[in-house]
Amino acid sequence: MALKRSVGLKGLRYRGGGPMLAWSLHRISGLLIIIFVGTHVLASFFMQQTASDLGTNLNIIYESLYFQILIYFVVMFHGLNGLRILILDTWPQLLEYQREVTWLQWLVFIPVYGLTVFIMIQHAASSG
Amino acid sequence: MQVTLKIFRYNPEEDKKPHYESYKLEAEPTDRVLDLLEYVKSYHDGTLSFRRSCAHGVCGSDAMRINGLNRLACKVLIKELSAKKITIEPILGMQVIKDLIVDMEPFFENYRVVMPYFVNDEPPPKRERLQSQEQRERFDDTTKCILCASCTTSCPSFWANEKYLGPAAIVTAHRFIFDSRDRAGAERLKRLNDAFGVYRCHTIFNCTVACPREIEVTRAIGEVKKAIATGKID
Repeated sequence: MALKRSVGLKGLRYRGGGPMLAWSLHRISGLLIIIFVGTHVLASFFMQQTASDLGTNLNIIYESLYFQILIYFVVMFHGLNGLRILILDTWPQLLEYQREVTWLQWLVFIPVYGLTVFIMIQHAASSG
Repeated sequence: MQVTLKIFRYNPEEDKKPHYESYKLEAEPTDRVLDLLEYVKSYHDGTLSFRRSCAHGVCGSDAMRINGLNRLACKVLIKELSAKKITIEPILGMQVIKDLIVDMEPFFENYRVVMPYFVNDEPPPKRERLQSQEQRERFDDTTKCILCASCTTSCPSFWANEKYLGPAAIVTAHRFIFDSRDRAGAERLKRLNDAFGVYRCHTIFNCTVACPREIEVTRAIGEVKKAIATGKID
Protein backbone atom coordinates (compact mmCIF):
# COMPACT_ATOMS: atom_id res chain seq x y z
CA MET A 1 0.00 0.00 0.00
CA ALA A 2 1.28 3.44 -0.86
CA LEU A 3 2.57 5.59 1.97
CA LYS A 4 0.00 8.21 2.92
CA ARG A 5 0.48 11.81 1.93
CA SER A 6 2.28 13.56 4.78
CA VAL A 7 4.16 16.85 4.80
CA GLY A 8 4.21 18.22 8.37
CA LEU A 9 7.46 19.69 9.62
CA LYS A 10 9.27 18.63 6.45
CA GLY A 11 7.40 21.46 4.74
CA LEU A 12 8.59 24.04 7.25
CA ARG A 13 12.17 22.82 6.78
CA TYR A 14 11.91 22.72 2.97
CA ARG A 15 13.28 26.16 2.25
CA GLY A 16 12.24 28.06 5.33
CA GLY A 17 13.05 31.75 5.54
CA GLY A 18 10.85 34.82 5.31
CA PRO A 19 8.38 33.66 2.63
CA MET A 20 7.60 30.41 4.46
CA LEU A 21 7.27 32.30 7.76
CA ALA A 22 4.88 34.76 6.11
CA TRP A 23 2.82 31.92 4.61
CA SER A 24 2.60 30.08 7.95
CA LEU A 25 1.78 33.23 9.92
CA HIS A 26 -0.85 34.25 7.38
CA ARG A 27 -2.72 30.97 7.84
CA ILE A 28 -2.32 30.91 11.62
CA SER A 29 -3.39 34.55 11.96
CA GLY A 30 -6.40 33.93 9.68
CA LEU A 31 -7.51 31.07 11.91
CA LEU A 32 -6.95 33.14 15.08
CA ILE A 33 -9.01 36.03 13.67
CA ILE A 34 -11.93 33.64 13.11
CA ILE A 35 -11.56 32.36 16.70
CA PHE A 36 -11.31 35.90 18.13
CA VAL A 37 -14.35 37.17 16.24
CA GLY A 38 -16.27 34.02 17.16
CA THR A 39 -15.38 34.45 20.84
CA HIS A 40 -16.43 38.09 20.70
CA VAL A 41 -19.83 37.23 19.18
CA LEU A 42 -20.27 34.44 21.73
CA ALA A 43 -19.42 36.78 24.63
CA SER A 44 -21.96 39.37 23.39
CA PHE A 45 -24.59 36.64 23.06
CA PHE A 46 -24.07 35.38 26.61
CA MET A 47 -24.00 38.93 28.00
CA GLN A 48 -27.26 39.94 26.35
CA GLN A 49 -29.28 36.74 26.18
CA THR A 50 -28.40 34.74 29.28
CA ALA A 51 -27.86 35.43 32.91
CA SER A 52 -24.65 33.37 33.12
CA ASP A 53 -21.22 34.86 33.93
CA LEU A 54 -19.69 33.25 30.85
CA GLY A 55 -20.01 36.40 28.75
CA THR A 56 -18.38 38.55 31.45
CA ASN A 57 -15.54 36.05 31.88
CA LEU A 58 -14.95 35.87 28.15
CA ASN A 59 -14.84 39.67 28.00
CA ILE A 60 -12.33 39.80 30.87
CA ILE A 61 -10.01 37.51 28.87
CA TYR A 62 -10.77 39.36 25.63
CA GLU A 63 -9.98 42.77 27.08
CA SER A 64 -6.81 41.75 28.94
CA LEU A 65 -3.60 43.48 27.86
CA TYR A 66 -1.86 40.26 26.72
CA PHE A 67 -4.84 39.26 24.63
CA GLN A 68 -5.09 42.72 23.06
CA ILE A 69 -1.37 42.66 22.17
CA LEU A 70 -1.84 39.24 20.53
CA ILE A 71 -4.98 40.29 18.64
CA TYR A 72 -3.26 43.40 17.40
CA PHE A 73 -0.30 41.33 16.12
CA VAL A 74 -2.57 38.85 14.37
CA VAL A 75 -4.85 41.42 12.72
CA MET A 76 -2.06 43.74 11.67
CA PHE A 77 0.16 40.99 10.28
CA HIS A 78 -2.72 39.37 8.39
CA GLY A 79 -3.83 42.72 6.97
CA LEU A 80 -0.36 43.83 5.88
CA ASN A 81 0.58 40.48 4.40
CA GLY A 82 -2.74 40.36 2.57
CA LEU A 83 -2.06 43.83 1.24
CA ARG A 84 1.39 42.71 0.01
CA ILE A 85 -0.19 39.76 -1.82
CA LEU A 86 -2.89 42.03 -3.30
CA ILE A 87 -0.30 44.51 -4.56
CA LEU A 88 1.76 41.72 -6.17
CA ASP A 89 -1.41 40.23 -7.69
CA THR A 90 -2.39 43.59 -9.17
CA TRP A 91 1.05 44.43 -10.55
CA PRO A 92 2.78 41.13 -11.43
CA GLN A 93 5.76 43.09 -12.74
CA LEU A 94 6.56 43.92 -9.09
CA LEU A 95 7.17 40.21 -8.43
CA GLU A 96 10.72 40.88 -9.56
CA TYR A 97 11.13 42.91 -6.37
CA GLN A 98 9.26 40.50 -4.07
CA ARG A 99 12.20 40.31 -1.64
CA GLU A 100 12.20 44.11 -1.28
CA VAL A 101 8.40 44.15 -0.94
CA THR A 102 8.62 41.57 1.88
CA TRP A 103 11.26 43.66 3.65
CA LEU A 104 9.07 46.74 3.22
CA GLN A 105 6.19 44.87 4.83
CA TRP A 106 8.32 44.13 7.92
CA LEU A 107 9.72 47.68 7.88
CA VAL A 108 6.17 49.01 8.19
CA PHE A 109 5.01 46.31 10.61
CA ILE A 110 7.78 46.41 13.23
CA PRO A 111 7.75 50.16 14.12
CA VAL A 112 3.95 50.55 13.91
CA TYR A 113 3.33 47.40 15.97
CA GLY A 114 6.12 48.20 18.43
CA LEU A 115 4.92 51.77 18.98
CA THR A 116 1.31 50.71 19.49
CA VAL A 117 2.27 47.98 21.97
CA PHE A 118 4.45 50.49 23.82
CA ILE A 119 1.49 52.92 24.08
CA MET A 120 -0.83 50.10 25.19
CA ILE A 121 1.58 49.01 27.94
CA GLN A 122 2.19 52.60 29.01
CA HIS A 123 -1.56 53.24 29.16
CA ALA A 124 -2.16 50.05 31.17
CA ALA A 125 0.64 50.94 33.61
CA SER A 126 -0.59 54.50 34.14
CA SER A 127 -4.21 53.43 34.70
CA GLY A 128 -3.03 50.98 37.35
CA MET B 1 36.10 11.78 -3.61
CA GLN B 2 33.99 9.69 -1.29
CA VAL B 3 30.34 10.61 -0.76
CA THR B 4 27.62 9.15 1.43
CA LEU B 5 24.23 8.77 -0.17
CA LYS B 6 21.43 8.70 2.40
CA ILE B 7 18.33 7.48 0.59
CA PHE B 8 14.70 7.39 1.70
CA ARG B 9 13.50 3.78 1.45
CA TYR B 10 10.00 2.37 1.62
CA ASN B 11 8.86 -0.99 0.35
CA PRO B 12 5.06 -1.31 0.73
CA GLU B 13 5.31 -5.13 0.78
CA GLU B 14 7.77 -5.27 3.68
CA ASP B 15 7.92 -1.97 5.55
CA LYS B 16 5.34 -0.48 7.87
CA LYS B 17 7.31 2.76 8.07
CA PRO B 18 9.84 4.36 5.75
CA HIS B 19 13.49 4.43 6.75
CA TYR B 20 16.79 5.73 5.40
CA GLU B 21 19.71 3.70 4.11
CA SER B 22 23.22 5.02 3.57
CA TYR B 23 25.67 4.01 0.88
CA LYS B 24 29.31 5.06 0.68
CA LEU B 25 30.46 5.58 -2.87
CA GLU B 26 33.43 6.84 -4.82
CA ALA B 27 32.29 9.70 -7.04
CA GLU B 28 33.75 12.25 -9.40
CA PRO B 29 32.80 15.90 -8.79
CA THR B 30 31.29 15.92 -12.28
CA ASP B 31 29.06 12.90 -11.61
CA ARG B 32 25.36 13.58 -11.42
CA VAL B 33 23.15 12.45 -8.55
CA LEU B 34 21.37 10.18 -11.05
CA ASP B 35 24.70 8.45 -11.82
CA LEU B 36 25.12 7.65 -8.13
CA LEU B 37 21.57 6.34 -7.86
CA GLU B 38 22.18 4.12 -10.89
CA TYR B 39 25.40 2.90 -9.24
CA VAL B 40 23.60 2.02 -6.01
CA LYS B 41 20.91 0.18 -7.97
CA SER B 42 23.47 -1.71 -10.05
CA TYR B 43 26.04 -2.62 -7.40
CA HIS B 44 24.48 -2.26 -3.92
CA ASP B 45 20.74 -2.84 -3.96
CA GLY B 46 18.79 -3.73 -7.08
CA THR B 47 15.51 -3.12 -5.30
CA LEU B 48 16.09 0.65 -5.10
CA SER B 49 13.28 2.24 -7.11
CA PHE B 50 13.24 5.63 -8.79
CA ARG B 51 11.91 7.09 -12.01
CA ARG B 52 14.25 8.12 -14.82
CA SER B 53 13.97 8.27 -18.55
CA CYS B 54 15.94 10.63 -20.76
CA ALA B 55 18.51 11.48 -18.06
CA HIS B 56 19.13 14.84 -19.72
CA GLY B 57 16.71 17.19 -17.98
CA VAL B 58 14.05 16.99 -20.66
CA CYS B 59 11.55 14.31 -19.63
CA GLY B 60 11.12 15.47 -16.01
CA SER B 61 10.89 11.94 -14.59
CA ASP B 62 13.51 12.14 -11.87
CA ALA B 63 12.36 15.05 -9.73
CA MET B 64 13.25 14.37 -6.10
CA ARG B 65 14.34 16.17 -2.97
CA ILE B 66 18.12 16.38 -2.99
CA ASN B 67 19.56 17.78 0.23
CA GLY B 68 16.11 19.12 1.06
CA LEU B 69 15.26 20.89 -2.19
CA ASN B 70 13.36 19.72 -5.28
CA ARG B 71 15.71 19.11 -8.17
CA LEU B 72 16.17 16.80 -11.13
CA ALA B 73 18.68 14.07 -10.25
CA CYS B 74 19.99 14.13 -13.83
CA LYS B 75 20.84 17.84 -13.69
CA VAL B 76 22.57 18.11 -10.31
CA LEU B 77 26.33 17.58 -10.25
CA ILE B 78 27.99 16.36 -7.05
CA LYS B 79 30.29 19.40 -7.00
CA GLU B 80 27.25 21.71 -6.96
CA LEU B 81 26.03 20.24 -3.70
CA SER B 82 29.24 21.12 -1.80
CA ALA B 83 28.50 18.36 0.71
CA LYS B 84 29.88 14.86 1.08
CA LYS B 85 26.63 13.61 2.53
CA ILE B 86 23.73 13.73 0.10
CA THR B 87 20.20 13.07 1.31
CA ILE B 88 17.72 11.93 -1.31
CA GLU B 89 13.99 11.83 -0.60
CA PRO B 90 10.80 11.70 -2.69
CA ILE B 91 9.03 14.94 -3.58
CA LEU B 92 6.66 16.19 -0.88
CA GLY B 93 2.88 16.17 -0.79
CA MET B 94 2.36 12.98 -2.82
CA GLN B 95 1.72 9.39 -1.77
CA VAL B 96 4.92 7.34 -1.89
CA ILE B 97 4.47 4.15 -3.91
CA LYS B 98 7.99 2.80 -3.37
CA ASP B 99 11.29 4.43 -2.37
CA LEU B 100 11.55 7.59 -4.51
CA ILE B 101 8.51 6.87 -6.67
CA VAL B 102 5.38 8.86 -5.87
CA ASP B 103 1.83 8.63 -7.17
CA MET B 104 1.64 11.40 -9.77
CA GLU B 105 -2.08 10.96 -10.50
CA PRO B 106 -3.34 13.86 -8.28
CA PHE B 107 -0.82 16.09 -10.07
CA PHE B 108 -2.07 15.08 -13.52
CA GLU B 109 -5.68 15.29 -12.37
CA ASN B 110 -5.09 18.96 -11.53
CA TYR B 111 -3.22 19.40 -14.80
CA ARG B 112 -6.17 18.14 -16.83
CA VAL B 113 -8.51 20.70 -15.22
CA VAL B 114 -6.90 23.58 -17.13
CA MET B 115 -7.47 21.96 -20.55
CA PRO B 116 -3.80 21.48 -21.44
CA TYR B 117 -4.33 21.45 -25.17
CA PHE B 118 -4.84 23.90 -28.02
CA VAL B 119 -8.48 24.87 -28.66
CA ASN B 120 -9.62 26.66 -31.80
CA ASP B 121 -12.79 25.63 -33.62
CA GLU B 122 -12.42 28.23 -36.37
CA PRO B 123 -11.77 26.70 -39.80
CA PRO B 124 -8.02 26.36 -40.24
CA PRO B 125 -6.35 28.51 -42.91
CA LYS B 126 -4.78 26.88 -45.95
CA ARG B 127 -1.37 27.01 -44.31
CA GLU B 128 -0.46 27.42 -40.62
CA ARG B 129 -2.16 29.77 -38.11
CA LEU B 130 0.17 32.73 -38.28
CA GLN B 131 1.61 34.42 -35.20
CA SER B 132 3.96 37.38 -34.88
CA GLN B 133 7.24 37.10 -33.00
CA GLU B 134 5.82 39.32 -30.24
CA GLN B 135 2.73 37.11 -29.89
CA ARG B 136 4.93 34.01 -29.59
CA GLU B 137 7.25 35.74 -27.15
CA ARG B 138 4.30 36.47 -24.84
CA PHE B 139 4.07 32.85 -23.63
CA ASP B 140 7.53 31.58 -24.54
CA ASP B 141 8.65 31.12 -20.93
CA THR B 142 5.77 28.82 -20.00
CA THR B 143 6.26 26.53 -23.02
CA LYS B 144 9.38 25.20 -21.30
CA CYS B 145 7.49 23.21 -18.64
CA ILE B 146 8.39 19.49 -18.55
CA LEU B 147 5.78 18.47 -15.93
CA CYS B 148 8.37 17.24 -13.44
CA ALA B 149 6.17 18.49 -10.55
CA SER B 150 9.13 20.16 -8.81
CA CYS B 151 7.18 23.42 -8.55
CA THR B 152 3.86 22.00 -7.39
CA THR B 153 5.45 19.77 -4.75
CA SER B 154 7.50 22.67 -3.35
CA CYS B 155 4.38 24.82 -2.85
CA PRO B 156 3.06 25.18 0.74
CA SER B 157 -0.45 25.84 -0.56
CA PHE B 158 -0.36 22.48 -2.37
CA TRP B 159 1.04 20.76 0.72
CA ALA B 160 -1.87 22.20 2.68
CA ASN B 161 -4.46 20.99 0.18
CA GLU B 162 -3.81 18.79 -2.84
CA LYS B 163 -6.96 20.09 -4.51
CA TYR B 164 -5.09 23.34 -5.19
CA LEU B 165 -4.34 23.15 -8.90
CA GLY B 166 -0.74 24.04 -8.24
CA PRO B 167 1.93 25.99 -10.13
CA ALA B 168 2.51 23.45 -12.93
CA ALA B 169 -1.16 23.42 -13.97
CA ILE B 170 -1.30 27.22 -13.87
CA VAL B 171 1.90 27.49 -15.91
CA THR B 172 0.32 25.22 -18.54
CA ALA B 173 -2.87 27.29 -18.48
CA HIS B 174 -0.73 30.44 -18.97
CA ARG B 175 0.93 28.82 -22.00
CA PHE B 176 -2.48 28.51 -23.73
CA ILE B 177 -4.30 31.55 -22.30
CA PHE B 178 -1.71 33.94 -23.73
CA ASP B 179 -1.40 32.09 -27.05
CA SER B 180 -3.00 34.41 -29.64
CA ARG B 181 -4.24 31.38 -31.66
CA ASP B 182 -6.10 29.72 -28.79
CA ARG B 183 -9.81 30.42 -28.18
CA ALA B 184 -10.46 28.78 -24.79
CA GLY B 185 -8.75 31.40 -22.61
CA ALA B 186 -12.02 32.55 -21.02
CA GLU B 187 -12.97 28.99 -20.03
CA ARG B 188 -9.53 28.35 -18.54
CA LEU B 189 -9.67 31.62 -16.58
CA LYS B 190 -13.10 30.62 -15.26
CA ARG B 191 -11.69 27.30 -14.04
CA LEU B 192 -8.73 29.02 -12.44
CA ASN B 193 -10.95 31.57 -10.69
CA ASP B 194 -12.00 28.91 -8.22
CA ALA B 195 -11.53 28.28 -4.50
CA PHE B 196 -8.67 25.94 -5.42
CA GLY B 197 -7.42 28.08 -8.29
CA VAL B 198 -4.84 30.83 -8.62
CA TYR B 199 -5.69 32.76 -5.47
CA ARG B 200 -4.21 30.01 -3.29
CA CYS B 201 -0.83 31.34 -4.45
CA HIS B 202 0.63 33.53 -1.71
CA THR B 203 3.84 34.34 -3.59
CA ILE B 204 6.19 32.15 -1.54
CA PHE B 205 8.45 31.71 -4.61
CA ASN B 206 9.41 28.10 -3.76
CA CYS B 207 8.13 27.12 -7.22
CA THR B 208 10.33 29.60 -9.06
CA VAL B 209 13.38 28.44 -7.13
CA ALA B 210 12.54 24.76 -7.70
CA CYS B 211 11.90 24.93 -11.45
CA PRO B 212 14.74 23.11 -13.26
CA ARG B 213 13.77 24.93 -16.48
CA GLU B 214 14.08 28.33 -14.82
CA ILE B 215 10.51 29.32 -15.67
CA GLU B 216 9.34 32.42 -13.82
CA VAL B 217 6.49 30.45 -12.31
CA THR B 218 5.25 33.00 -9.77
CA ARG B 219 5.23 35.70 -12.42
CA ALA B 220 3.14 33.47 -14.73
CA ILE B 221 0.68 32.87 -11.87
CA GLY B 222 0.59 36.63 -11.23
CA GLU B 223 -0.23 37.30 -14.89
CA VAL B 224 -3.08 34.79 -14.79
CA LYS B 225 -4.42 36.40 -11.59
CA LYS B 226 -4.34 39.78 -13.30
CA ALA B 227 -6.10 38.42 -16.38
CA ILE B 228 -8.88 37.05 -14.15
CA ALA B 229 -9.19 40.32 -12.23
CA THR B 230 -9.22 42.60 -15.27
CA GLY B 231 -10.88 40.22 -17.75
CA LYS B 232 -8.21 41.18 -20.26
CA ILE B 233 -5.64 38.94 -21.90
CA ASP B 234 -2.85 41.16 -23.13
